[in-house]
Amino acid sequence: MTAARKLINWLGLGLFALLGVAAVVPLFLIIGDIYIKGIDAINRLGGLWHFLTALPPTPFDEKGGIGPMLVGTLYMTALGALLGIAVGFPLGVYIGEMRREKFANVSRAAVNILVEFPTIVVGLFVYAVMSLAKQSLNQYLLDPLSKALSPVGGWITQFIGPLDGFNAYAGAAALAIIMIPYVALITASAYASIEQQLREAAYAIGGREFNALFVVLRKAVSRAVVTAALLGTAKIAGETAPLLFTAFGNTYYAPFTGPTAAVSLWIWYAAQTPYSVQIASAYGAAAVLLTIILIIFIVARIRG
Amino acid sequence: MLGLLLVVLIIPYLIAAYGLLFVKLRWGLRLFGAFIVATIGLLTAMFLVEAYPIIARDGVAVFLRTSWDPARESYGVLQALAGTVLTSAVAMALAMPMALGVAVTINEILPARLRGIFGSLVDLTATMPTVIYGLWGLFVLGPTLQSLINYLPGGMMTSPYTLFTAGVLLAIMITPYAAAVIREGYALVPKPVEEAVYAVGATRFEAALIKLRYVRNYILGGFFLALGRAMGETVAVAMVVGGNYARFTTNIFESGVTISSLIALQFPNAASYQYMVPALFAGALLLTLFGLAINAAAIYIIQKWQI
Amino acid sequence: MFTWSKTFYQVTGGKIQVNYQSIGSGAGAAQFLGKNLDFGASDVPMPKDKYQQVAGQFVQFPVIIGSIVIAYNVPEIAYQKTGKYLNLTAEVIALIYMGNITQWCDPRIKALNPGLADKLPCKDIVAVHRSDGSGTTAAFTLYLSKAYPAWNQTVSWGYTVNWPADQKAKGTGAKGNEGVAQAVLQTPYSIGYIEFAYWATNKDKYDQVGGVAFVRNDNDGKYYFPTTENVAMGAAAGLERYIKKYGAPPAPDADWNPVSIEFSNPPQGYPIVSFTYVFLWKDYAAEGYGDAATKAALLKAFFRWVLTEGQKPENIVEGYIPLPSSIANIGLEALNMVKP
Repeated sequence: MTAARKLINWLGLGLFALLGVAAVVPLFLIIGDIYIKGIDAINRLGGLWHFLTALPPTPFDEKGGIGPMLVGTLYMTALGALLGIAVGFPLGVYIGEMRREKFANVSRAAVNILVEFPTIVVGLFVYAVMSLAKQSLNQYLLDPLSKALSPVGGWITQFIGPLDGFNAYAGAAALAIIMIPYVALITASAYASIEQQLREAAYAIGGREFNALFVVLRKAVSRAVVTAALLGTAKIAGETAPLLFTAFGNTYYAPFTGPTAAVSLWIWYAAQTPYSVQIASAYGAAAVLLTIILIIFIVARIRG
Repeated sequence: MLGLLLVVLIIPYLIAAYGLLFVKLRWGLRLFGAFIVATIGLLTAMFLVEAYPIIARDGVAVFLRTSWDPARESYGVLQALAGTVLTSAVAMALAMPMALGVAVTINEILPARLRGIFGSLVDLTATMPTVIYGLWGLFVLGPTLQSLINYLPGGMMTSPYTLFTAGVLLAIMITPYAAAVIREGYALVPKPVEEAVYAVGATRFEAALIKLRYVRNYILGGFFLALGRAMGETVAVAMVVGGNYARFTTNIFESGVTISSLIALQFPNAASYQYMVPALFAGALLLTLFGLAINAAAIYIIQKWQI
Repeated sequence: MFTWSKTFYQVTGGKIQVNYQSIGSGAGAAQFLGKNLDFGASDVPMPKDKYQQVAGQFVQFPVIIGSIVIAYNVPEIAYQKTGKYLNLTAEVIALIYMGNITQWCDPRIKALNPGLADKLPCKDIVAVHRSDGSGTTAAFTLYLSKAYPAWNQTVSWGYTVNWPADQKAKGTGAKGNEGVAQAVLQTPYSIGYIEFAYWATNKDKYDQVGGVAFVRNDNDGKYYFPTTENVAMGAAAGLERYIKKYGAPPAPDADWNPVSIEFSNPPQGYPIVSFTYVFLWKDYAAEGYGDAATKAALLKAFFRWVLTEGQKPENIVEGYIPLPSSIANIGLEALNMVKP
């Protein structure tokens, strides 16, 4: 091997390494910034447990928390992720596995277009549908349903009941729509990359197509699918714009059938006030949100 | 009633699609494809309906005008489209090399133990809430870029918040998406191919280049995922892009606006004006058309490359 | 508003939750009219065309006074260095944002500031404005429209306007009061308009790089510094002028657009004054709200508290000014119009 090629080798690899590291450096800067200010804020505002359960602070308060926000984000993200995976995964299988079909390519194009919609517009869409549907939905479906369920206990009204114009379910729906393309595209990549021999072997073993695709090939694609689910969930946990006109936001613990709080909405609001207590609570909230996402990650990496 | 039907039909539709998976797999899958196409169709229909008033009044002028003057109810979204194109271009120019770097670093350079950690770090970058990126851009990135750029003669950045700031912030945000897709493909390069490459005596660098060429369809896929993300990013861009609507600019070191951030910035107060909401949806429509065009280009490229 | 909500919540022993979110004045009015919200709040009164649609069905009244300051970043004349702040008039401010005055050493600025004239550098002014639609912009441009007629003709006023400075000079936008505040702090030779609170909580930082302007009230010719007292003076003077012109204080179910015009650029006091208005329906049951009687009673209780206890200094956050009792009474009168 000539010296020139060796040199190019080192330079080239060095360039790639530099670029790779450059992609990650801002992350450290941001995480460092958030955690330093966030942990300090949480301590100032009353300690971790208080911060996770208490109501948000006004400019006069010295202590406060993000209790309602945390609950709202967890609920809406969980629902949104469930729906997002439920639709995104089969969609991804379709696009990846059956990519010879014309309709599959049309679907892929549709997914690509969905990715590029401004997220606020998705929220507006859900809001429009909700406005149209709210009256009749409440009248014909939810009112009788909640009356039928009332023997179960008063707490059920926190979840099911007539919906206000702004509610947690609209928020979850908007989040799901945003998540679907990400899950679909990464799943599609995973399925498309299976070598033909492996696929043929799976069909030979599996018999029915369903068996072959989902059971036998499970191991081959599971890592990618788990990545897709994770990336998607964590992404929507931090979304703000789609929630503005769907969940609207709240500063109290309230039923999910009405306006619902979210951590991202609080960060959006509080960080843009001039009051140091609220700005601190925004950093604390950001730190909490990051920690949740990190936990999701670590759990999945251990399993996957 | 229409809305009720819409909402109520979704759940049974999905259950039916799932059920069909067990019975006739392919048709079940097609139902999911139909679902997403229908969603796009509905969204575009909503844009058309909402944008109709201003198209009826101004015709295509709203797509060609470059000024935004609510007091006189005169709206134009061309400068926003230019902003979207410019910021996306800057973002992609920075993000694609970084994404390639990430893929090669993880798969070629790092020892096995570090791969998982580094990969997780990159994924973590993707999941950071956009509002936090926006805040960091507002307080840290914008001023830093302004100082850096103004070292060069000319003092080009008059404000910390310009299209360039937005482009750089976008690059940081979208790299992990492109990287995730490329990494998947890269790791799945078949062993025989890899062995063959090394058998002919390639250096690690040359092997990397060859493998990248091998997975070029993944690179393309990652490219379009990242591009879509860049065009649709709302909150973070809104906080750092600057908001100069009055002038059509191609200078990335000036403040500007993108279609997504235009909608985010103006929508809350748009209901007070007669034609602003339709104008904003006209912008969304323009973005959709632009996205369609890009996708068409993508299909053409794929066919040319015979992937 | 959030502070009031939480204090009220504590005062009532946790029984009453009033959820307030800032989504923008236009959205506040629109969602209220769309009956998605129980009450709406806005930095400008109900727009005329919307008012005409629902005239007589709702009431609007101010709940607090805010103000806008003109902050600037010119290191050579920073307050910490020179101990002086700039004097500016509506005309000069308007000309800056129209792109006609482009440098800090312009003779018109020098004429207003003889003490600092020799220190003003010949650098381009970067005029920062809001990129998002904003009630702050609306109040600021309304003031300029009233005080300098040429501005009214070329630019007019609103949540977002077409700033000539963007085309002719170095105008730039930033998101939110926070964005403008940051842009001014970071960009040398810039000027921007921000809500009082954003300057008041960061006064020292601004004094290091520049400062805040004394604004001349063209009606009495005096220069006023933005303080709580001066703004309150402006609000009270505006009300007086309105009463003199129309004979009585504004009624809660009248169109308040003429009112806000009278309050802008008042006869004395700091001339940039803005109100936050609240919208309530007169008859919640008739408007189709569920649980109307309870809602109306709760709203009345909350806003009665806001207009009385809420105006006490300990309940007002920094940067805002309590209503003079003459104006607060209008609100109380409005509450009486809400059934039951």
